[in-house]
Amino acid sequence: MRSYPRKGILLEQNKEPGLSKEIRILPALPVERSELPGPVSSTPDLLAPYEIVSIAKEANIVDEIDGRRLWKKLAQAARESVSGIVVDALDDEPYISSQLAPTLQFPEQLHQGLRLALRAIGASKSSIEIYRNLFDLDTRIPSSIMGVKVDRISGSYPAESYARRRMQRNSTLVVGACALLFLQRAVYEGLRQTSAFVTVTGDCVANPGNYEVPLGVSAGALLEAVGLITNPKRVVAGGSMTGFSLTDPSTVYLSQTTRGLLAFAEEFQDMGYACLGCGRCTEACPQGLSPYFIYKVMQSHRKHHIELADADLCIGCGSCSYVCPAKLDLAQVMAQAAAYTHRRQTSGGQP
Amino acid sequence: MKLRTQNPPHIRSRESNLTMMTDIVIATLPLYAMAVYYYGTRALLLGGFGVIVSSLADGACQLLAGKIPNIRDLSGAVTGLLIPLLLPASAGYSMILLAALFGIAVAKQPFGGMGQNIFNPAAAGTAFAMICWPKSAFAYPIPFERLPAMVDDTVRLVSSPAYSLSLGGTPNIDLLDMLLGNVPGPMGGTNILVLLTCLIFLIVRKTVGLAMPAAFLGGASLMALLTPRVDAPALTAVAYELMSGLLVIGAVFLINDPVTSPKRTLPKIFYGFGTGALSVAFRHIGRYEESFLFALLVMNATVWIIDVWGEHLAHAMRRKNREFKTNPPVSEPAEQDVGAAQK
Repeated sequence: MRSYPRKGILLEQNKEPGLSKEIRILPALPVERSELPGPVSSTPDLLAPYEIVSIAKEANIVDEIDGRRLWKKLAQAARESVSGIVVDALDDEPYISSQLAPTLQFPEQLHQGLRLALRAIGASKSSIEIYRNLFDLDTRIPSSIMGVKVDRISGSYPAESYARRRMQRNSTLVVGACALLFLQRAVYEGLRQTSAFVTVTGDCVANPGNYEVPLGVSAGALLEAVGLITNPKRVVAGGSMTGFSLTDPSTVYLSQTTRGLLAFAEEFQDMGYACLGCGRCTEACPQGLSPYFIYKVMQSHRKHHIELADADLCIGCGSCSYVCPAKLDLAQVMAQAAAYTHRRQTSGGQP
Repeated sequence: MKLRTQNPPHIRSRESNLTMMTDIVIATLPLYAMAVYYYGTRALLLGGFGVIVSSLADGACQLLAGKIPNIRDLSGAVTGLLIPLLLPASAGYSMILLAALFGIAVAKQPFGGMGQNIFNPAAAGTAFAMICWPKSAFAYPIPFERLPAMVDDTVRLVSSPAYSLSLGGTPNIDLLDMLLGNVPGPMGGTNILVLLTCLIFLIVRKTVGLAMPAAFLGGASLMALLTPRVDAPALTAVAYELMSGLLVIGAVFLINDPVTSPKRTLPKIFYGFGTGALSVAFRHIGRYEESFLFALLVMNATVWIIDVWGEHLAHAMRRKNREFKTNPPVSEPAEQDVGAAQK
């Protein structure tokens, strides 16, 4: 068990009831089967590495964690001869369980996909990483899935980005769990990736859960198909901490990297609070920055302290905005400060 | 469907300025209950008067500055609640009035209001009242003698243990009585046990941290230990120094004021320790028997410098870590890699 950011925040996960429900395909949005040309291999365990990579290329599989094509990642890893694969099923953002649910519900397929990927890059070590602080959960996280060790990460919120950075330093390939499932389907059933796993939840959604949704469906159509209780005031594509909110859900289309769709009934209200200087953002920042200090410096006219604050190290996790009791948009300020610092550095001290 | 966009994160913590201020208000209520028990309902009148004057002054100053007063902003009320607790229960209404007006209209709003002030408004206002009425600010009623609503010459006023300490004498008061607050002293400053309970409540609610009050009391104890004023066993002398005057109420409410304290842990400890040591040092050289407020105001003025210094330190630490990560030392590369990865 590992614990990643020494600081950071503990969040209520709100993954239920979505996580313990079965993953469904909506009748209103059927997933089309698109078969690969050529026969399905009857002995997938005997495929050569280059064959697996070419099937991944043909099947058009995209890794959901970074949006890169799976075959490129596999080919690069094979060239660089990495030592193993880490399956990313962390899902540390509240509400989202679109990697965790498939991992727990299709363990056999995931294991087959993992074996294929390992053979494709010629590596042997593998593990699955799952975020552990899921205290409001009905589901238990097993300690191994089909004999593959599960690393339970017990950190605070931005565990995912830290886990990924550490794994990249250790020269392992990080692959999303859903991408491996689609690799298994491509090899064993000869199917292209035409769908993605999406968590649809929020307090407006009548039937929250994880759904397998065809690619290219609009967010509005998906919400409609899942069912809404009331008209949402906020619709968010992506995670609850880092996703972006939509002005018009009917014009935004789902891709392989859309891991969640959240619909909330309430808008945030501007309470008119001013910064108290409580320093909670400084305590929360996993990078050890001081959003308070950066906020104050960005507000003032004399910005010579900004280089001291290292705003360019911000990873954009949003923890500072989350904890702020004055409800200030600190994450935005941090992004502006990072851009300002960059301009200042490139122009030799002058903004 | 047209929706308004918002920047991430799309969930927010339930804590807000309002809940933080409410916590402080809740923490002052037991002190008022104790004050009513010792001095009668006059304590409540003083508290209510302080709240009304500071809230009105706060609102009026905001209107003057062209801002709309926010009813969820309880900071003015908190100032008004704290000022009577720092003064004797026999303090006149004019004293509270002037302290609240000075705190809000001179120490807080001219700097930009909520969150921008350099000096703690309650401390600045009370210190101003102490300078204006040095006699009545340091003459205290005796516990369990009911005070009338308007204090006149018939009320017996005595000096506090802090005064005997300042003369170099040991107060003739049991330490247990001092712990329970059964001594003449500032209205909210004598109930040490109740104050520590309030501190625990605030720490459990995470409205204040442990670092500053602990460093503050540590600094005050160390200074009292090194420079004893009374001829008593060392630990007894330290206990008398800590429990007399405003040190403990300061450790609970004033030193933890989020606006006027540093943000990082090490600067917090430095600030707390410095304020504690300075308060006890000021007792030796100051004219007044209680000089915590003056020490606090002096340290308030240095907070931004301490903060910048803390940022310098954090910056240097980050640089060191980053250099270590990018160019790990060449000897024993395997082990160093593991160490760097865990960082």
